[in-house]
Order: sequence, then C-alpha cells, then structure tokens
Amino acid sequence: MTDAPTFRFGPVSGADMARWCALLNDDNEIHLSRDAAEAAGLGPLRINPGPANLAVLMNALLDGENEGALREVEARFLGNVREGDHLCARRDGGSAALYRADEEAPLLTATFRFGDQE
Amino acid sequence: MPAPAAHPPIPQSRYRLTRQADDAVRRMSGALARQGAGAHPIFAFLGALGGLPQPIKELSESLGLDFAAGPVLAGCRITLHAPLQIDRDYTVEAKVAGLERRPSRAYGAADHLHLAVALTEGGTPASEIALHIVFPAPEAQ
Repeated sequence: MTDAPTFRFGPVSGADMARWCALLNDDNEIHLSRDAAEAAGLGPLRINPGPANLAVLMNALLDGENEGALREVEARFLGNVREGDHLCARRDGGSAALYRADEEAPLLTATFRFGDQE
Repeated sequence: MPAPAAHPPIPQSRYRLTRQADDAVRRMSGALARQGAGAHPIFAFLGALGGLPQPIKELSESLGLDFAAGPVLAGCRITLHAPLQIDRDYTVEAKVAGLERRPSRAYGAADHLHLAVALTEGGTPASEIALHIVFPAPEAQ
C-alpha cells in the first residue's frame, strides 16, 4: 500500500472522544471512561469511536478537490484505536488502511469509489 | 434474545448539519479546510446515528440488546448520492434491516444488528448507510 504518501494523525485525543460521542448521540462509556474501557476488557485507555477512525482514513484519500466526488465507502473495523495512539493511513488505489503507527496489523480497512465531481 | 422477525418502525426524525459541527470534525480528524458549503463525507455516518430519534443505546435496548456489554462496530457501507452540505436540514429515515444471534469465537455468542439509515433533503436521497454492530451476548455462553 504505497501509491501515495502516508497520512499521519495523532495523538488521538481523549477529550475529542467525548465530542465525537456528542455528535453521534452515543452513550457508550468505553469512549468516555477509562474505567469502563478496562471493565469491558479493552485495557486502561478510552477507545476512539469507530466513525472518528473512519474520518481519519477518509482524509488519506481526500485532497480537497475530490471530496465532493466521493460516492461510496465500504469499511471494516478490525481493531480499537485508543487515546494517545499515533495513526497512519496508507492507500492503494481505491483502498486504504489505518494502522497504529508502530504496528503492521490494520485497525480499519476501506474501499472508496469516486464519481464525477459535482 | 431479541425477537427474530418484525421490529417496530423507527420514527422519522431530522438532522441539522451545522458548520460548527463540520469545523469540529475537520479539526478532530486532521481534514483539510472546507471548500464552499460541502460537509465532510463522514457526516453520512454522523447524521445517520446522531440524527436518530433516540440515542443508539436506547434504540439497542428497545430491541432487547445488551448495550452495557460493549457493542462493537463491525462495518459499514456508505453511499453518497451527492455531497452533504452545511447549514442544511436532512430527514433521517432508519430501519432495522436485520438482527440475528450467531456463535462468536470472541464472545461465545453475539447479536448482529444491521441498521439502514438514509438522509434525504426535500424527498431527494442524499446519503445512505448500512451499519453492522455486534453485541456480545454473554448470557448465551
């Protein structure tokens, strides 16, 4: 996955997780409370909402000119992003994957289809 | 265990896509600055979930799902018929497209919820999302 420069993002903000939850009307405590994340067996750090990760991955393919031409996204959420994580996204044509910066296993993969610009 | 067949309809609702929300999303995700009135495409997701008439927790529990067990977003498919725009009101039409319990290597058993949510404007489709959310079902282990 190397046909474009790697898109980097981070550190993931725990405070922003609450803002994402407000936008999503999502009360899942694993995004808001370290104790809840730990109680759910996810470790001692808050878990980033999935759509927040997908937004970062989208940004790896959006260049300002093509944003309005995005027509389809199909995403699979494979792992959790935690507060403090540094992320990198790599694209390969119409596909892209999101990784924790020092790991090889993707946390999120997606395919993208663009149409004609409006 | 949730009932396998017909689910109560989800009332139609409205979602206001504000420039403030778009500004926040762009800042929080490292996106480029907005050009014109075009909202970030992740609003197909945010408008779908954030625009439901009730929080996803309440909707899930109304279906008999154990939200406290820690649901996991497994996947989604987004279709954008046209770019979403800031300072617009969208109609939110949601339905339960599927709900089934399956064996799970991770949890022993899990309930798979499939939600379909469309945003329309003046009757014209703007975006659609198919969401797949997995709920651990520990009582079935």
